[in-house]
Amino acid sequence: MTRLAWWLVRAQFLSRRTATALSMLAIALGVALGYAIHLINAAALADFSQAMQGIQGEPDAVIVARDSAGHVPHALIDEVARDEAVALVAPVIETRVRLGREANAARLIGIDLFSAAVLMPALLPREGGAGSGGLFDGGLYASQALLESTGLRVPEGTQSAGADTTAIRGESRWETRIAGDLPAVAATERVLVADIAWVQARFGPRQGVSELRVRLMPGVRAEAWRAAWAKRLPPGLDLRAAADNAARISNISRAYRVNLNVLALVALLTGAFLVFATQLTAVAQRSTQFALLGVLGLPPRMRLLQVLFEGLAIGLPGSAIGLALGYALAAAFTRVMGGDLGGGFFVAGTPTVVPEALPALGFFLLGCGASLMGALYPAWLNRVQPLAQALKTGFAQGPADSIGHRAMIRRIALPAIIASIPLLTALPAIDGLPLAGYAAIAMVLVVGIAAAPLATRVAFGAAAKTDLAAPLRIAVQNVIQAPLMAQVAASGLIVSFALTVSMVTMVASFRTALDQWLDAVLPAPHYMRSKGLPLPAELLAALDLPDAPFARVERMATGSLSLDSRRPPAALLVREIDRADPGTRLPFTGPVLAARDGAVTVWVSEALQEMQGLGAGQTLRLPLLGREIEVVVGGVWRDYARQFGAVVMAAEDYRALGGRFEATDLALWPRAGAEEAARRWLAGQAARHGVESVPSDEIRRISLSIFDQSFAVTHALEAAAMLIGLFGLAVTLAASVWLRARELATLAALGFSRAMLARAVVFEGALIALIGLTLGLVSGLAVGAILTEVVNPQAFHWRMPLRVPWAQVVPIALATLVAGMLASRFAARQATRLPAAQVLAGAQ
Amino acid sequence: MLSVTGLTKRHPGASRALFNALRFAVGAGEVVALVGESGVGKSTLLNCIAGLEDADAGEIRIGPDALDMHRLDEAARASLRAARIGFVFQAFHVLPTLSVAQNIAVPLLLNRVPSTEHAPRIEALLRRVGLDGFGPRWPASLSGGELQRVAIARALVHRPALILADEPTGNLDPRIAGEVLSLLLEQVREEHAGALIVTHSRHIAECCDRILELSPEGLR
Ligand SMILES: Nc1ncnc2c1ncn2[C@@H]1O[C@H](COP(=O)(O)OP(=O)(O)O)[C@@H](O)[C@H]1O
Ligand SMILES: [Mg+2]
Repeated sequence: MTRLAWWLVRAQFLSRRTATALSMLAIALGVALGYAIHLINAAALADFSQAMQGIQGEPDAVIVARDSAGHVPHALIDEVARDEAVALVAPVIETRVRLGREANAARLIGIDLFSAAVLMPALLPREGGAGSGGLFDGGLYASQALLESTGLRVPEGTQSAGADTTAIRGESRWETRIAGDLPAVAATERVLVADIAWVQARFGPRQGVSELRVRLMPGVRAEAWRAAWAKRLPPGLDLRAAADNAARISNISRAYRVNLNVLALVALLTGAFLVFATQLTAVAQRSTQFALLGVLGLPPRMRLLQVLFEGLAIGLPGSAIGLALGYALAAAFTRVMGGDLGGGFFVAGTPTVVPEALPALGFFLLGCGASLMGALYPAWLNRVQPLAQALKTGFAQGPADSIGHRAMIRRIALPAIIASIPLLTALPAIDGLPLAGYAAIAMVLVVGIAAAPLATRVAFGAAAKTDLAAPLRIAVQNVIQAPLMAQVAASGLIVSFALTVSMVTMVASFRTALDQWLDAVLPAPHYMRSKGLPLPAELLAALDLPDAPFARVERMATGSLSLDSRRPPAALLVREIDRADPGTRLPFTGPVLAARDGAVTVWVSEALQEMQGLGAGQTLRLPLLGREIEVVVGGVWRDYARQFGAVVMAAEDYRALGGRFEATDLALWPRAGAEEAARRWLAGQAARHGVESVPSDEIRRISLSIFDQSFAVTHALEAAAMLIGLFGLAVTLAASVWLRARELATLAALGFSRAMLARAVVFEGALIALIGLTLGLVSGLAVGAILTEVVNPQAFHWRMPLRVPWAQVVPIALATLVAGMLASRFAARQATRLPAAQVLAGAQ
Repeated sequence: MLSVTGLTKRHPGASRALFNALRFAVGAGEVVALVGESGVGKSTLLNCIAGLEDADAGEIRIGPDALDMHRLDEAARASLRAARIGFVFQAFHVLPTLSVAQNIAVPLLLNRVPSTEHAPRIEALLRRVGLDGFGPRWPASLSGGELQRVAIARALVHRPALILADEPTGNLDPRIAGEVLSLLLEQVREEHAGALIVTHSRHIAECCDRILELSPEGLR
C-alpha cells in the first residue's frame, strides 16, 4: 500500500513539477521568514539581557528614582542597609557624559568597589592590571567599545600612564585620565566606570544616588520583601526586581516582533494556499484515476490519506529547506545588520544566532501543518467523490447533499462573521497585542472570499441575458455557474490583492501623516542637540551675544519619568513654549485647554493617552524632581518619535517647581538675510563642542528615508502576494480547462475554432480577475482601515488618518488584470491543444 | 461465485424501480452475458454487485464464503472488491501515470501480495494476454486493444472469484473485440472464476455459457 502511495506521489510530482516546486518554495519561504525572525530576535534579546545583566548584576531588588531629575536619598540608603533582611546594598550613580570632543555620549557608572565586587562583578576593572594599584583613585575605567571609538590608551605596566581625558556634562567638567579597562563588560557597550564618590562630586546628585541595588539575606523571600518596601517608599521612587529589565526590553519590542511574525505567518498561509490550489487541481484531474483505484478496492480512507500524504510530501521538504534557509538568513542578517529588525530596539551589537531544537521543531511542524491544512479540503473532496459517477463523468465539485448545507452557511454564518468585524475592531489590545484586530482582518478576508459567488452572479447575471459574442457568452456562463475552480482562482486573487491594497494604504497613510507631522514639529529652520546631555554653557552663552545671527531661539531640556514600572520610561520634554498657545508648536489631536494659573499644565503624547487612558482636562500625578506633583493634562498631541510616550511642560512651570532647566536641544530661527552666517556659526559651534547641528529639511529627509527603508520589505511582500495570486489563477484556470475537456471538445465539434476556444478561456480569466480585484479592493480597504485604526494604535500607539493612495492602487489593479489575462493565455493554450476527437470518444 | 437474491434498485427521485427482486447466480468457471436495451440498468446492476452503488434491498453474495456485499460498510466493500472482484470497463481506465507493469501490480499491492511474487505473476499474465515485454511501457504509447488487454490482465492478476465487465469491447473494432473477448473468456475459465459480461453484441453473447436479458420486467 505504501508502495502504491509512493508511485502516486512520484507520478504527481513529475507531472506537475512547477506547481509542486512553487508550493514547496512558498512553504519554505514562510518557514524561513518565521524562523529567521525568531532566531534574530532570540539572539538579540539574549545578547541584550546578557549585556544588561553584566552591568546591572543580579540584585534581588533595585530602588530607582522615577524621574531623571530625582534621586534615592542617603537617608533611605541607610534605612535599607539597616534592615535585617538585607545582606548588602550597592549604591550606584549613573549619568551620561561626553569624553572630550567625542560626538557620542557614554554611560558613566559610579560604583562602590566593595559592594560592586559582590553584586556587579562585571563592572570591575581588570584584576592585577596596570593602574588597578591605586583603586579608583580618581580615574576612569572604559569599556572596549569606548576605548576603540575614542582611541584613548590604557596604562601599560608602570612605563606609561593612561591617557588624559575630560568627562563633560553641561557645565560640569572632570579632568581625569583613563586608569584601566573593563574586560567583563560586553564588547558593544559604551560604558565608563569610576568610584561613586568622584562621580557624585563632579556630576551629582548631591543628596543621594540614582540607584540602590539590594542583595537580601539567604532565605528571605524576595517577593514579600519587595512588596513590603514598595509601600514604604516615597512616591518619587520605584522598587523593582532586577529580572524586570529583561522582561521590559522583551515587552517593548514584543508588539513589533509579533507584527513581524504575523507577516511570516501570512507568507506561510500563501504557501498553504498554493498547496491548496495545487492539490485541488490534482484531485480534480485525477478523479477518474482515484475512482478507478476505488473500484479496484483502494480503501476509502486511503483516498483521503493519499492527498494529505501528498500535501505532507510538499510540506516536509519545504519545511526542512525553510529551516536551513531561515538559519542562513538569520546568520547573514545579524552579521551584516546586527540584531535590529527595523524596530530600533536592539541597535548595537552582533548577536550570535543559536539554533535550538525546540523552536526549530516548532517551525518545522508549522510548515508541515500549513501544507496539511492546504491539502485538507481537497483530500476531503477526494474522499467523498461518488465512485461510479466519477468514473463516468469525472470530477464532482462537491457531494450532492452539501448544497443545502452551503446555503445555510451563507444565510447564517456569513452575516454572523460580518457582524463580528466591528465588534472585534472595538476590542482593546490583549496584553499589549492587537489580537482582536488581527482576527478582524482574518474575518474580512473570509467574507471577501465567501462573497465571490454572489458578487459574480450580481455582476454578470445581467450580462448573461444580453447578446454576446459566442466566446464571451461561454466565459460569462462558466463564471456565473461559479464552479469550484473559478472560486478558488478568484479567492487567491482576492486575498493577495487585499493584502497589497491594505499594505499600500497603511504605508501611504502613515507616510502622509509622518510628513505632516514633521512639518508641525519642525517649525525652525535649524536644530541643535547633544543627545540627552546638557548643552555646554559656553555655547548657550554665545547665543546670548548680540552677534549671534538668530532672530529667535527656543530651548528644550529632555529627561525621563516612569509612569508605569512595567514599561520603559516616558520622555519629559521641558520646553520654552507659549503656555497660553502651545498649538503653534505641538500638533494637537483634540481640544487644547488654556493653562490655568496655579496649576501645572502638561501636554501628553498620543502614546500616553493610549497607555494611561489620559485626556484633556484630566489631572495626573507625575513623578517630577523626586516628588509626585499633580498636573493638568492640557491636551494630547501626536508624536511618532517616542513610542513610549512624552510629556511636554513649559520651562517656567518646571522652574517654578524648583527644577533646573538645562537645555539639551535648541530650535533656531536665523535672522532675515543672515541664513548663511547662521549656518557658519552653527557649524563652528557644533565642531567646537561636539554637538549635532542639523537643518530641519535634513531631519525631514532622513526621517522619511528611514521610513521608506523600514517599509521597503512590504513592497517585496506585495509583489510576492500578487505573483502567488496570479499563479493560483493560472493553475486553477488550466485545471478547469482540463476538467471541462469534454465540454470544450464538444464546442469544438460544434464549430468553435481553436482561437475562439482560447478567447473564451482568456475572457473567463479576465472576468475572474475582475471579480477578484474588485472584492480584493474592497476587503483590502477594510483591512487597511483596520491596520491604521486598530492594529497600529494598539501595537505601536501610532494613530494616523486613513488615506487611500489611488495613484498606486489603480495601476497595480490594472497591471494585475493584464497579468491575469496573460496567465489565462497559459490555460487557453491547453484548451486549444485538447485532442478533441479523443476526448469525445471517451478514451482518457 | 456470485449469487444475487431479491435485488431491488431505484434511483433517488426516479418514478419506478430500475429492477425489482432480481435473482440469479453465476457459478465457478461460468461466463454469463448480460444483455438489454440501453438505459435498462445493466451498468447499475454491475455497480450494485461491486458495491459501488447502494441497492435498496436484496443479497449479493460473492466468493466461497458468500459474504454479502449489500450488508458491508464502505471500507469492507472496498476490501471485498480488492480481494474477490476484477473489473473491466468500456473506457479501459488504465492509470496514465503508472507503467503497464505498475498498473497490473495495483491489485497485488491492495491485497498485500508479497512483492517477490509480483514480477513473475505480471510477466506470466502479460505473456498470456500477448503483451510480452510491455511491462515498462507507458499507457500513452499503447493502442486501444492493447490497453484493454492490460485492463484484463489487471482484472485477473489477483485471481478474483468474479470478473465484472461493462461493455469491455465497446470501444474496440470488431476484429480486436473478438480477440480481446476470447482472451477474457479463456482466462476466466482457466482461473475458475465466474464472469458477468455486459455486451451489446449478439455474437459475443453467444460465445458465453449463458445469456441473461435485463428488461424493465426483470431478468430472462
Ligand atoms: N445517479 C443516477 N441518478 C438517477 N438516475 C440514474 C443515475 N445513474 C443512472 N441513472 C438512470 O438509471 C438508468 C440505468 O442506467 P444504466 O445502468 O447506466 O443503463 P445501461 O443499461 O445503459 O448501462 C438510466 O435510465 C439512467 O438515466
Ligand atoms: Mg451502461
